[in-house]
Amino acid sequence: MLRASPDGEAMSGSRILGLLLLAPAFVFVVLFFLAPVVLTAVFALTNMSTATGITGGAYQVTQSAMRELGERHGEQALADALARVRYTVDPAGIDAATAEGASTALVSELDRKLAGESFDSRRELERAIKALDNRPRGTRALKSLSALFERSIVNTRFATEEEFFGAVAGLGIELNATQRAALLATTYTGWTWTSENFSRMFSLPDTKRTFLNTIIYVFATLIVFNTGFALVLSIVTHYMPDRPAGIFRAIWLLPRISPPVLYVLLWKWLAWDTGFLSRILVPLGFESRNWMLDNPTNAWVFIVLINGFVGASMGMLIFSAAIKSIPVSLFYASEVDGANRWQQVRYVILPQLRWPILFITCYQSLSLLTSFEYILLATEGGPGGATKVWALAAYLTALNNYAGNLEYGYGAALALVLVVVGVILSLAYLRLFDFKSLVAPPPIEQ
Amino acid sequence: MTSNYRSWPMILALGVVTIPLVLMYVYLFVDTVTNTAPGSVVPHEFTGEHWRFLWETLPGRPSIYVATLNTFVFATATTLIVLAISSTAGYAISRLNVPFRAFFLAGVMVLHAFPTVTLIIAIFLILQFIGLYNTLIGVILVKAALELPFGIWIMKGFYDTVPWEIEMAGIQDGASRLTVWRKLVLPQVMPAVMALGIFSFLAGWSEFILPLVLAPDNKVQVLSVYLAALIADDNNFDMALFKSVGVFYVVPVIIMFLFFQGKLMSIYGGGTKG
Repeated sequence: MLRASPDGEAMSGSRILGLLLLAPAFVFVVLFFLAPVVLTAVFALTNMSTATGITGGAYQVTQSAMRELGERHGEQALADALARVRYTVDPAGIDAATAEGASTALVSELDRKLAGESFDSRRELERAIKALDNRPRGTRALKSLSALFERSIVNTRFATEEEFFGAVAGLGIELNATQRAALLATTYTGWTWTSENFSRMFSLPDTKRTFLNTIIYVFATLIVFNTGFALVLSIVTHYMPDRPAGIFRAIWLLPRISPPVLYVLLWKWLAWDTGFLSRILVPLGFESRNWMLDNPTNAWVFIVLINGFVGASMGMLIFSAAIKSIPVSLFYASEVDGANRWQQVRYVILPQLRWPILFITCYQSLSLLTSFEYILLATEGGPGGATKVWALAAYLTALNNYAGNLEYGYGAALALVLVVVGVILSLAYLRLFDFKSLVAPPPIEQ
Repeated sequence: MTSNYRSWPMILALGVVTIPLVLMYVYLFVDTVTNTAPGSVVPHEFTGEHWRFLWETLPGRPSIYVATLNTFVFATATTLIVLAISSTAGYAISRLNVPFRAFFLAGVMVLHAFPTVTLIIAIFLILQFIGLYNTLIGVILVKAALELPFGIWIMKGFYDTVPWEIEMAGIQDGASRLTVWRKLVLPQVMPAVMALGIFSFLAGWSEFILPLVLAPDNKVQVLSVYLAALIADDNNFDMALFKSVGVFYVVPVIIMFLFFQGKLMSIYGGGTKG
């Protein structure tokens, strides 16, 4: 109604423009947020890993597959039959014999008398060859000839199911329906659907430890530094003259603005065997050691310090701003009433900081829960997994482990737990901080 | 302010707690140009040898200048994408009557509160699948996308502070909403755009995990990955060299921070790191 045109037109114009302006953001968010979330859920239900690849797989009779066939499907006889080496006089073998320089007479006799025959052992084949009129002279020649007919499907890759079953049939092995299914399940090298990741997660003792580590990490850092020390910093600097207060705030911002790789390097320099701490403490009678990785307790102290020094600055900024907005008259009034400094903090400052403290606690609990960068750089979860938190466990499992086989599926399952917890917590926090007031309808359209 | 209390005990107490931090940063710079005898904490001679990576390529590593250029391209491209997309989307969410507006905003908030590194496994596989693994383009797109919710959120907040009267006046004069945004509103939030730009640049410059996982190759390596690889190499342990590379890496950050401190404070208050 502010324009000459009717209301409806103004509304829809703004609507289309709005959608156009939102479109690029929407595309990015769908591609790099929604798709990964959905795919994380999908991958979590697979056994994808470096070994299975991410696209597809083939069928291959391997030793471990045969062991599984015997142990999990009770088909030991079939497994033995598949793994057995056979000697078959087939056209391919006869061609090979020609190429190896066997006499024409021998080749034609082989073709005539033994073609298509299959022997369970090399000795039987060699006995049959020895019975031929044009048999090769000498054991050496006989051995090299019989080797040409050795047939086995062990470790051969078959791209499709048909090829694979064709080759199995070629060995003279007949399969019933359950055997076919068991064979497919055990010999397929690609990824398959499974819920094993989750049952594994709940049964591994490692999971419980990682879970407890995460709790320690989040709460210790949050309480001691992100809110606790941040409060101390903001209150103490509040009572200082401007200049020293500014200097302290700037120093405590350094960890936040420093790139993580460099910041953690500084801590390593402090804690290294020949680092600063050792240099100071050795003359005092302590042994030189890596103070960060020496034992789990030390590792935890350093992890909390490293993360806490970064985390404290955000609380410091927000609390300082909140303290600044407290009317000065309140401070004067409390002083006139004879309040000492502690009483002033307790009864004037802290009550005004209730919401900022709640906000920082909520916000940073989420950040800490999903952050692992500093731990990865500092201890890599060590020593011996003592500082491995949930997010780091997901990262190490899926993207960087010593064993070399990256387990995408299991890592995704671990990450999915964080996704779910993160979404639940942030929805709860949105409710707490009164989301509705943030989306009041635009007055221009009213 | 309240001079009834003495301040020096406070300064002293906080000073003691701050000492480790000061030591770490002072020695960061001191150690790059000096040598210190083992067991001592006081340097005994000046030297330039720790800066040798500037004129010779370290064995098995890319040239420092290649890494620097990669880092610069990475940070700049990320910043441009974040600015372009969040300044439009932020306006739409702040001012336009878009359908599902509340839904969009809630989505942005959930994503923003969600440092998303949990998604990196899926992103890693997606990039491998579409062939953008080990390319700068891939990691730029991902970093920009992960910065977006924060950018949109910040821009929405700044658009919210622009008085409605400005827009009302523009529309009264017959301008379209698009023109109003471009000609009247955008200039109002220019300081915010600048601040977000600097913030995104610094975030890109410091980023470590994404390039580490998505573009680790020598030819696309950025400085953070370069430095981390140097430190992780147990055979060539040289703390002073690491620190020199670190100083080389952090100097642009410090310069930008000193210049734009005021602008950045408005954003660090809403920080993104734990």
